[in-house]
Amino acid sequence: MNDEILRVEDLRTTFTTSAGEVKALNGVTFSVKRGEVLGIAGESGSGKSTAMLSVMGLTGEYSKVKADKMTFMGEELTPSRVKALRGKNIAMVFQDPMTSLNPVLTAGYQLEEALKRHHWNGNIKERVIDILTKVGIVPAEQRMKNYPHEFSGGQRQRIMTAMSIICNPELLIADEPTTALDVTVQAQILNLLREIRKASGMSMILITHDLGVIAGEADRVIAMYGGRIVEEGTVREIFNSPKHPYTMGLLRSVPKNDGKRERLIPIEGQPPDLLNPPEGCPFVKRCPKAMRICLRQKPVPLTLSGTHKYSCWLAQKAAKEVKE
Amino acid sequence: MLEVNNLTKYFNTPSGKLHACEGVSLSIAKGETLGLVGESGCGKTTTGRTIIRLYEPDEGQIIFDGHDITHLTQKKLLPFRKKIQMIFQDPYASLNPRMTAGDIIREPMIVHRLPKDEHTDRVNHLLKLVGLNSEQAGRYPHEFSGGQRQRIGIARALAAEPEMIICDEPISALDVSIQAQIVNILEDLQKSLGLTYLFVAHDLSMVRHISTRVAVMYLGSIVETAESDELYTRPLHPYTVSLLSSVPVPDPDKSAMRHIIPLKGEIPSAVNPPSGCKFHTRCPNAKPECSSITPVLQDKGSNHLCACPFV
Repeated sequence: MNDEILRVEDLRTTFTTSAGEVKALNGVTFSVKRGEVLGIAGESGSGKSTAMLSVMGLTGEYSKVKADKMTFMGEELTPSRVKALRGKNIAMVFQDPMTSLNPVLTAGYQLEEALKRHHWNGNIKERVIDILTKVGIVPAEQRMKNYPHEFSGGQRQRIMTAMSIICNPELLIADEPTTALDVTVQAQILNLLREIRKASGMSMILITHDLGVIAGEADRVIAMYGGRIVEEGTVREIFNSPKHPYTMGLLRSVPKNDGKRERLIPIEGQPPDLLNPPEGCPFVKRCPKAMRICLRQKPVPLTLSGTHKYSCWLAQKAAKEVKE
Repeated sequence: MLEVNNLTKYFNTPSGKLHACEGVSLSIAKGETLGLVGESGCGKTTTGRTIIRLYEPDEGQIIFDGHDITHLTQKKLLPFRKKIQMIFQDPYASLNPRMTAGDIIREPMIVHRLPKDEHTDRVNHLLKLVGLNSEQAGRYPHEFSGGQRQRIGIARALAAEPEMIICDEPISALDVSIQAQIVNILEDLQKSLGLTYLFVAHDLSMVRHISTRVAVMYLGSIVETAESDELYTRPLHPYTVSLLSSVPVPDPDKSAMRHIIPLKGEIPSAVNPPSGCKFHTRCPNAKPECSSITPVLQDKGSNHLCACPFV
């Protein structure tokens, strides 16, 4: 049990907006093991980023975060505890390398800042040069004096990556770390993250809408829809035998790149409205197999194996009776 | 249908002349889809925009349906504008937020003077064609989701009864589950209306899916063109080889087997592009002469064109 780095149980996050209360997360439970890469797939508004921001205590003043349990390495994540861990033991990389760096400070200064904030005991400048060299910003001693606009998008994302791992975190939360980048640069960044993981045993939560990236990097996958986890399993369980209609639909809607050029099968309909989420299953409006019970009642998670779980009424015998 | 010869477009910037698109030649047959791929800043959008003369070309020739439209005055260009329409990347920015969906779709009909009494019927017909309904004509863009907005963009492009549509990253801003909806609509419309597409995108697997032929751009020039499957299974140019090897595959088993050929360094500045072959600074097979010879597209068999003399 000790190899569980992060554990979150029944996480519920709501935002108060002028249009009403947005239920961004409706009971999300997951965990990350040491050295593991957990991939989170889902579309915009599915709650993948909100879940991570809730863990980090960064959802802002108009939000309410409730959870039965949130622990990091066995310790409860209270607001003050999270503040101490954030950036040091749990680090985060964001999607947009253009806006995540301060434009009026040099790259080196911003990296040093991270070390000073967390009372790095060692030579700060040496560490900065070492980490920049590791992420391929060379010659580091000169490049650290440059400002963000003097770097390309890919380099800025590498600086962001350097900043997140500079304190040797146990867990890195990467929120769409390569979405704004070109495929060749994406390959460089993913490769870099892989090397860091290999060297330090760091765990990673990888949020991305790109199923290809998840297939290549993740050990385990969570599929989210409408603020809930609809399916979770090992990467092979999810890609080779998906069970939830959303996961199946998602995998069918991307081209297989095998030259057969079969017609794509999209998921019909539009993303869910979180202001008025359906009472039952969040996917009911777009589900090709929806039944009456799906409208009224939330499906109960069904465990297929130690690792593979999904929440769908199709799996429940009782539901079939309801249909008839 | 469309032939572009040696198209060149420079932009003047404070730091010098930016070579956005240089010596681009391509042709698209009627009913065909040409995919134009490459990384950000390679000039694919500029190429698309210069073809419909949203930008004035500095050199080269654009021939549409046998007519040279390179230097036509705006007035004489209008009938051709009607025939070539465009779909844009950002469905949030490309629709006027103060116009209703119906008015947005009607506007090209007014510009191109289609009979007024048919406008409303046509708007309703177009909405249906893209999977929306006529009641939605009175709504404003913010009342639609991203995928629905892109449908409005498609309906607007179809309003003038075009023969060709330049699709500039039409799905990049959409969720994966919605992308397939839009791609299917584009494919259906092509079949039913006999449309010709220039499909500009950086999502290489989607481009393979939709295109008959694919052209790969690097730093303002086309480095390789071939039939879609031929290009993806037998890439020749070292840049294409590396680019395709970097595409993630949504299959954990295949993903573990693939071999990525990384590109070294950063993409050079388009203000001061490398001499000779523009790719020689990052090419794994670069030879000394690559910095002096400017490569041209050569046919390497079965209409597979490649701008590298060493493959």
